[in-house]
Amino acid sequence: MTCSPSVDPGAYAPAAHECAEIAADLARLNALIADAGDRLLASFNTVSAALPGFDGGEPQQIQLRDAVAAAVTSLQFQDLAAQLIRHAQHRLDVLSAHLRALPAPAADGLPVAAPRPQPVAQGAMCSGPIELF
Amino acid sequence: MPSILAVDDSASMRRMVSFVLTGAGFRVLEAADGQEAFEMARTQHVDLVLTDHNMPRMDGITLVKNLRALPAYADTPILLLTTESSDAMKAKGRAAGATGWMVKPFDPGKLVDVVRRVIG
Repeated sequence: MTCSPSVDPGAYAPAAHECAEIAADLARLNALIADAGDRLLASFNTVSAALPGFDGGEPQQIQLRDAVAAAVTSLQFQDLAAQLIRHAQHRLDVLSAHLRALPAPAADGLPVAAPRPQPVAQGAMCSGPIELF
Repeated sequence: MPSILAVDDSASMRRMVSFVLTGAGFRVLEAADGQEAFEMARTQHVDLVLTDHNMPRMDGITLVKNLRALPAYADTPILLLTTESSDAMKAKGRAAGATGWMVKPFDPGKLVDVVRRVIG
């Protein structure tokens, strides 16, 4: 704690409380996404295990193959979402640290955190680009 | 049967990669981070490494650098499969010796095409 003795220790309490609430929301969101991802993956495993024995006609087989391929791409949402949440949690940690270190209620706004590269730029679950060096 | 080492700290990503590449006729080994992958690769040679970048213990670009330092992996194709899409990160991957860069999420057909292309 680097606050000067003259600063009201409770000056930033509401902001710190908001940070803690956001962190808790992110943790819950992460748990929900992980649970949904695990359940979807279990369903995917069941379907993929049954695929070799599927004896429908060729149009049905193509339809099923395409659906499974689309599921493979879509099921990657858990990984992307988890990384975005980790990134947001880190930024929140930085913000909380700044709040704790502020010497006095800021008249000119909060300090800006050092920029960090955004690990996920994707906004949809369509497949990403490929580049061979 | 060509062997591929799939490296990702996400179990669901490893499952998706393994499902697709096994179905395409490859033997797939899995590792949960760069450190585990490096130890596996040293004990059994694989024909291609497909790795995530953001992982605990050892990230993907460090794994590429460490593998390239091994004579057995001087020419082995190593692909990054990651959410990272910035030119700066791609340049780091290229400088480390990566063969190519794929941005998540991957399309199964495109993944198989690229793997076949670089494995030769």
